[in-house]
Amino acid sequence: MIALLRLLGADVLRSQRYLAPALLYCAVLGMLYSGDAGTVLPAYAGSCALIFPVGAWLAVVISTAEDPVLRTITVVTAGGWGRVLAAVATLTAATVLLFAIVATALPVLTNPHPYTLADVRTGLLAHLVCGFSGAAAGLLLSRPLITRTGVTLLACTAVVVVTFLAGRSTPVGLALWMLGHQDVSVPALLGLLALSVALLAVAVVAGRAVALRR
Amino acid sequence: MRLNRVCKRWGRGPLVLRDVDLTLDPADLVVVLGGNGSGKTTLLRVLAGLASPTSGTVTGRPAHVALAPERFPEGVRASTRDYLRHLAAVRGVRSDPSPLLERLAFTGEVDAPIARLSKGNAQKVALVQALQAPPGLLVLDEPWSGLDVSASAVLGGLLGEARAAGATVVVTDHGGDALALPGVRRVQLGRGAAASGVEIELARAAAHLDALAAAEGVREAGPRGDVVRLVVDASASDDVLARALRLGCSVVAVRGGRP
Repeated sequence: MIALLRLLGADVLRSQRYLAPALLYCAVLGMLYSGDAGTVLPAYAGSCALIFPVGAWLAVVISTAEDPVLRTITVVTAGGWGRVLAAVATLTAATVLLFAIVATALPVLTNPHPYTLADVRTGLLAHLVCGFSGAAAGLLLSRPLITRTGVTLLACTAVVVVTFLAGRSTPVGLALWMLGHQDVSVPALLGLLALSVALLAVAVVAGRAVALRR
Repeated sequence: MRLNRVCKRWGRGPLVLRDVDLTLDPADLVVVLGGNGSGKTTLLRVLAGLASPTSGTVTGRPAHVALAPERFPEGVRASTRDYLRHLAAVRGVRSDPSPLLERLAFTGEVDAPIARLSKGNAQKVALVQALQAPPGLLVLDEPWSGLDVSASAVLGGLLGEARAAGATVVVTDHGGDALALPGVRRVQLGRGAAASGVEIELARAAAHLDALAAAEGVREAGPRGDVVRLVVDASASDDVLARALRLGCSVVAVRGGRP
């Protein structure tokens, strides 16, 4: 699995397509925290809303960085679609974790409000819920399920817009609502985290099923 | 490894493979033959585990499979060295690809992006990644295309070595290089329907067409030029031939079938 992650990761790094979402992420974080970003948890809600589409974008980049023909070699070498798609999901989740840590730690250093350890834990959990949910959407809406870039882009945009409109009825909406209203339940966040990880697993299983049929 | 009545259609399209029966043993060399669109590449994808059959079963696929696609893509940013090292690691081996590259007379720069290699050299990289660790099943789609004469001969030798190490080798080959190798088995794919069936051509059979078409195991029967062409299940071919002879037909040709 490690070797597979390195192969896929090297391809993503060489493609440089990760740069656009990474720069967008850093730029918006910079704007959010350039001055007083306000109270701790509502400020986290801003970057949580950001990591959701960025997570989807990263997932699309990571799952499509490899050429489709090279992907068939990788799949055969690794021993099946399941392993490669699981590695793609793992690599995406690891990248989202890195982005979540940045967004959670940055305001502790820059925002002139007192941060408790509990706040930081809540922030990290909420970022992971939103980031993993976005990543799951990105994986479900790109190769091998959707092979056309334009359709992937439209579908991801639609999912992000609908999620923001749907309010508390989605994991992302609920996490954002809890932060915005400073009414956080850690067990609820852990439940949402488990749900978002389950969505990633669904994306792997669905991707494998579709790839084998193609 | 066994394929049992494997059928495959892509999406809602027509059946590309129909009732393919195939048994592969270690050290087998199988050449898949057939015209354009006869399902050769589809069969290779099913063998390699990239695609599952629409119906039928594939059992006993070896744990380690290697694949070289027909066309190595353009624009690969990785260098030859990095690409081969990463793939060897995924397979769980450490191997130095330089002896293999040398034997195939690879003339490119191993640290340059694969995109900058000539078509022939890129093809050699594709072959080396498949051959660098001994797989149980080696699936090569048109491996001789783009190779010069000397590299073609070397490839024949390398396939022999892989078989000696117990690998099953399955190839497609337009050029006919594979058919010259020792111990080769042919699998003929027809236009979908004839897959793994036996094709029989009979003279003096026009009057018996209906009787032949009704025989058990006959999938297709029809005139072709001045002979009658039948496609029959491999398991029924002997019975159909015996019947045709009893009817007074003359056998012109028998092709394909379960090797």
